[in-house]
Amino acid sequence: MDEKFSSFLDGELDDDELDALLGRIRQADELRLAWDTYHLIGDALRNQLGNEVVSRVASRLASEPVVIGRQRPPHRMRKVLWPAMSAAAGVAAVAVVAFLALPGAGGDPQIAVAPQAVPAIIPGAGLGKFDSYLLAHQRFSSSSTMQGVAPYVRTVSEGRNGPPK
Amino acid sequence: MRLLRCLPFLLPFSTALAQSDPGALQWLQRVYSATQKLSYTGTFLYQQGQTSETSRITRIIDATGAHERLETLEGVRREIIRKNDEVVCYLPATMTVRVDKHPGGSILPAAVPGHPKDLGDHYIVRKGDIERVAGYDCQVVLLEPKDNLRYGHRLWVDLNTGMLLKAQTLGERGEELERFVFTDLQIGGYIDRDKVKSRFSRKGKDWRIEDSAGIQANLSEAGWSIKAAPAGFRKVSEMTRTLGGASGVGHIVLSDGLAAVSVFIESSAGRQAGSQPGLVRQGAINVYMRPIGSHWITVVGETPAESVRFIANAVEYRKPQ
Repeated sequence: MDEKFSSFLDGELDDDELDALLGRIRQADELRLAWDTYHLIGDALRNQLGNEVVSRVASRLASEPVVIGRQRPPHRMRKVLWPAMSAAAGVAAVAVVAFLALPGAGGDPQIAVAPQAVPAIIPGAGLGKFDSYLLAHQRFSSSSTMQGVAPYVRTVSEGRNGPPK
Repeated sequence: MRLLRCLPFLLPFSTALAQSDPGALQWLQRVYSATQKLSYTGTFLYQQGQTSETSRITRIIDATGAHERLETLEGVRREIIRKNDEVVCYLPATMTVRVDKHPGGSILPAAVPGHPKDLGDHYIVRKGDIERVAGYDCQVVLLEPKDNLRYGHRLWVDLNTGMLLKAQTLGERGEELERFVFTDLQIGGYIDRDKVKSRFSRKGKDWRIEDSAGIQANLSEAGWSIKAAPAGFRKVSEMTRTLGGASGVGHIVLSDGLAAVSVFIESSAGRQAGSQPGLVRQGAINVYMRPIGSHWITVVGETPAESVRFIANAVEYRKPQ
């Protein structure tokens, strides 16, 4: 598969082969990741990254500085992915700098670059004590619009999670 | 460099992949209309993490509206009866009846989702394969969020009726957070009316009744507002209600057309001691609490922790003029 992908990147595939490959790309998560990464690089090189992407990349980098090194893709994909990923990291770093340098974005760069971490999870707490909140909320959940009364089963959860602590 | 050479070649495809498939959006529309008009009876499994629970569910639509009954077959026994705009929850273990009636409600839930096309602003909606669920051939529909403020969903929709037979909520890394799946189902045909009648309504008369007593209200006039909701979340309802014995609890509902978030505002006086700010999560539900002056804000949503925290922090009180 990675040979096909390489040929594709080199523009050496004919139309039929291209169609087949694109079909597989849509289905395979790994290939989609590679695909998305290339697009990110492309967008960055053409300076077409939206602020949303920039801030997302920035916040990812801020909260997970080693994520690129931690996720080991399957062996067959590594050859293609590694150069792309390290290039993406480089571009992302550039993007952060570029974002900070943007006129108008200088007001409070902290907002975009260092979002607060996800709040502390209260240990030992289940949703049991929030039952009445859940019941009140459930009516407005779109899952209720699509599934009728079924999602109400989420309420009253004490029994599912052992005795309250 | 190989990478650079291929970039122009890759360009034309990038936009095509980032957009929703109109055919997939039509499938969502089918699900919404099927939910309103179909009668059915069956058994479904609710799975969340390591725990799962089986329930029986029946829905009958007739000239007087929708009648639904859900009864758990495992775990804590409970029965939920819905008649049009009224939901009654019977909890035999604690001899409690919870009543939630929506003010001005109709047969439809109040938060009718936005037009499926609007969903395309915040989700990429695509069609998947055809797969079988509970003996029915289903179209798989995938909703992939465009940011980290909402979860992804995978839906299995019956090809013939448009009924939703399986629904999976997916976390940021595509991991399953919760799942509803029918294991056995009859759609349409004759369904005995006994199946939607409460087993507890008679006994329940002597039980403790907690009525939410919801009344539509203008909370902004009372000084409460959400100064900046996350992209795509709009206010769909605003009311006061009774919650856990405390009356006059403010309730604001935000929705992006799919995911809903409820903001509850209550006086600290009515709250049990030992409340602490922070997050509680279970499956696809996140709850975030924080105090504002003499009040507590509790935000409940089927959205990521980031999103409920964002909304909780955006709640603002200004003394009315």
